[in-house]
Amino acid sequence: MAEIKIRNLHKEFGIGEDKVVALDDVNLEISGHVFVSIVGPSGCGKSTLLNILSGIETPTSGVVEMTSEGHEAAPGYVFQAARLLPWRTVRDNLLFVQDDRSEASKKRCQRYLDMVQLGDKGEKFPGELSGGMQQRVGIARAFSIEPDVLFMDEPFSHLDAITARSLRRELHHMWVETRKTVVFVTHDVGEAVELSNRILVFAKGGRLEDDIEIDLPFPRDPADEEVAVAKARVLRKFEELDLLAT
Amino acid sequence: MLGHYGWRVLKSPIFARVLFPFTMLALWLVSLDTIEKIWPFAIDVLPTPGEVGRFMWNELITETLARRNLYETFWISLRRLLTGFVIAMVVGTIIGLIMGLFRAANAFFHDWTMVLLAMPALAWALFNSLIFGFGDKGPIITVILAGIPFVIVNVREGVRNTPRELFDMARSYQVPRLKTTRHVLFPSLMPFMFAAARYCFSIGWKGLVIAEVFGGQDGAGWTIKFWYDAHRAHGVVGYAAFFVIFAILFERAVFEPISKRTFRWRPNLAGAEIVEEVFDEENTLEDFASVPSSEMIDDNE
Repeated sequence: MAEIKIRNLHKEFGIGEDKVVALDDVNLEISGHVFVSIVGPSGCGKSTLLNILSGIETPTSGVVEMTSEGHEAAPGYVFQAARLLPWRTVRDNLLFVQDDRSEASKKRCQRYLDMVQLGDKGEKFPGELSGGMQQRVGIARAFSIEPDVLFMDEPFSHLDAITARSLRRELHHMWVETRKTVVFVTHDVGEAVELSNRILVFAKGGRLEDDIEIDLPFPRDPADEEVAVAKARVLRKFEELDLLAT
Repeated sequence: MLGHYGWRVLKSPIFARVLFPFTMLALWLVSLDTIEKIWPFAIDVLPTPGEVGRFMWNELITETLARRNLYETFWISLRRLLTGFVIAMVVGTIIGLIMGLFRAANAFFHDWTMVLLAMPALAWALFNSLIFGFGDKGPIITVILAGIPFVIVNVREGVRNTPRELFDMARSYQVPRLKTTRHVLFPSLMPFMFAAARYCFSIGWKGLVIAEVFGGQDGAGWTIKFWYDAHRAHGVVGYAAFFVIFAILFERAVFEPISKRTFRWRPNLAGAEIVEEVFDEENTLEDFASVPSSEMIDDNE
């Protein structure tokens, strides 16, 4: 089980008058088989936090520890756009992030392609697939390295509502099946409530304002009253914090 | 009168393409006729399509008055062109990479690249024939100097346009740097390398011919000048046609197959169609209707 500890995390971009604070003294702990969503308005540092956790960016100050069973936790990342290599086939895109091209790696990649229902599309190039299918490949790629923790940065925001709904269901099944720790950034409160155990609310200036537990059974249907009530609760929090877009 | 099918044939791009050479041939014959009427002496130096055709056929069956036959001549030029082309591609790629990666290197080479770009191939041809005299060196160096700025500029732009988001993806998955260079950097440079190679080839070819006119004892450029000196207009026109045919054949036989193979991942080149999402039965419009979209806080992070 992965464990993430964040202590006094601070991130700034630019210098002097152009300085922008992306994350301001963030303290946080995430551990176990949890699905944590990070929500907040534009510029609240949601994506920056994921980029720091995954090693794409370095913090200005503060400490980030990611461990799993006593060793450094390996992350997988699903981006907002699929970020596939357009010149490699779907299968090769998954193999690109593996340590080797052994039979075991190939079988593992195939297993996760099957899991996202693209088992027969391994020899296709990404440009031959629809946006939703490309994002599925992105999800399969992240799962295929069997990461200890999975970061997802608004993975369904570019997709139409039907495709996004279908992928949310698949993601939930995969999360249940693989028992990963997932940190999921979204701007859609409904999506966060449908998928998560915990919702972290960030405000402009990169402050962590609230940590809301969603204690409802899965699978959750957005039309259910309990889910709607939970969503209203989170939205009320947004109103209290004056975070709703005008 | 033509009927529906007749009009469709007339309007088709294939018919238009076939029509072009016949139109040019007709224009050629009409021009000859008109010039003969205005100035009867001019017709002695203006070749007819028949004369040019006969000349080209004789060259093809190696019956020629020139010192070397068509195949020997083009082989000499091709050897020079390829030597210059390879040197220009290698050196140009290295300089382009350095310019794309380091701002100071870009500042150092920038003005000199502009000078090379602005310099006509004719100037290089004259300059190199003065320095190197007759032989291979002058034409080869002309190919290098004419082609290299296009390679430098294209490779530099390629480096500047490398997809940063793919490098970030590779870093987040802890893919080793060498593997990222091989699978991300080089493939992303390929479209620019191809543009560089095509420019270098065509500009280098033109430069080579001019260099051979001034500083060659053989080769395609020298041979066209031979026919010019011999007052054989059909030879000049026929050889010019061989230049064009050579360039087109090279494009079709070398660049196009490599390009098709290298860029087969592009859906429009592969002739592939986008595979559409197929939904299972669970995902009905009712599901769609049940997803409220009013909870969007902001969609622009």
